[in-house]
Parts: sequence; structure tokens; C-alpha cells
Amino acid sequence: MMGLTRRDVLMAGSAALASPLFSPGTARAQDETMEFVERLTGRTATVSDRLHLKMPAVFPTGYTVPMDLDIESPMTEDDHVKRIRVFAPQNPLIEVAGFSFVPQRSVPRVSARIRLAKPQHVVAVAEMSDGKLLMTKTWVDVATNGCI
Amino acid sequence: MTTPTPRVLVASAAAKGEIFPVKTIISHQMETGLRHDAQGRVIPRKIINKFVCRYGGTEVFSVDLHEAISANPFIEFHLRATESGQLEFIWEEDGGGVYRLEHELVVA
Repeated sequence: MMGLTRRDVLMAGSAALASPLFSPGTARAQDETMEFVERLTGRTATVSDRLHLKMPAVFPTGYTVPMDLDIESPMTEDDHVKRIRVFAPQNPLIEVAGFSFVPQRSVPRVSARIRLAKPQHVVAVAEMSDGKLLMTKTWVDVATNGCI
Repeated sequence: MTTPTPRVLVASAAAKGEIFPVKTIISHQMETGLRHDAQGRVIPRKIINKFVCRYGGTEVFSVDLHEAISANPFIEFHLRATESGQLEFIWEEDGGGVYRLEHELVVA
């Protein structure tokens, strides 16, 4: 019998991580996302409606899915967004991007195009100047995968 | 691969306090390191992994890019016009490649 390959280990690991997570529309989806963020950052994030992660609900290709991020913040020295991290938990590599801002001169409003390997919740986590973590997520259904 | 070519679309003048958009793109394959060639060998990762914007010599916006950023990475962001000065745009590639553009902004 063949031994366990590295690939097997990786697949088992990622399957265990991914299996019950992020099913669309389930009551548990929110808890699962929070748990995911906590496991990743080691901290608890608060779901916030100050974060707007705008993506198409359905998109024909996973190669280049438009993503708009907008966070409500005065961007003063005392109250600003330091960083936003974006994750695609069902991608083979879950980290998508990290955007860093400074008070007064940049505005937490960005757009990019991303790859999604399958339909999933995309998650955005904002680190605020007071140390709080805010988060939101949005479901994106891609018809063909982004094969990354 | 052809040499990555960066492009930026941004106004040359802005009113003080105005929030203005900056559109950037660089031609780049963004090879993830997860694909194999016809012989089954892994195609090594080669992506733009960092983008930085400086305004008047100070870093005001940056991005850590990962494999899930699409080929020919497009990033649009927004700055507040505080004073006239130079905008610098820097893209860093796996393996040490660096691509730059500069732009003069007049704030009245």
C-alpha cells in the first residue's frame, strides 16, 4: 500500500478546514465565518455594516471577479482604518489581498479583480486604529472556476 | 513573459481636500505556483506581491497582493488632495523586479 502523500495530507487538512464552512444561506454561516476569522487572526471580529464589500452575486468566470470595498470612516488620526484583509476561504490559497491606509491622505475605498476557485463567501476584515477588528462577507457564485 | 508595463490614470490637478481616484494596472501573468506544465512540473510562482503609492515622499497606500489577484492586476484607490507634490507608484515582483511610475499633482 502506498504511504500518505504530502498531497493527501494537504487535501485532508484543507477538507477538514473547509467542509462545513460557508454554505450559503444557512443560519450557521455567520458563526462559521466568525470562527474562521478568529482562527486566522487569533482575535474576535465584529460584524459591521460600516464595511461594504460589493461583488456580483453571480459571475460567469472565476478568473476575474470585480470587487469593490468601501469602509465608512472619518480617517482622522484618532479614528481610521489601518488595514483591510480579504480572504477567499474556499480557494487553495485563502489570502487574497491586504490594503493599508493612512489617516487624512488615503480613503478606504478600493477596487480590484480577484480569482475565485469556486462559489463561496468572500470575507473582508478591517483593522481599525483602536485595535478593533470589523468584518463582513458576501456570497459570490462563479460559473467556472478561476483555476488558481 | 513580456516585460510588465505599468499604467496609471490619475488627474493632474485637484482642489484642496478633494478625494480623487487613482486607477492603476500592470500587465502581468500573476503565475500562482499552483499550475503544472505539460511535463507535470510545477510552474514556479511569479506574481506582483506588493504595490505602494507615495505622495510627497510619504507612503499613503499599499497593497499586499496574493495569488488570488487576477492577471494584469488592476487596483483603483482613492486619495485626499492635501498639497501639490509627486505621486510615486511602485510594483514589486517575486524575484526582485521593481516597476515604477511618477506623476505630478497640482493642488490649488
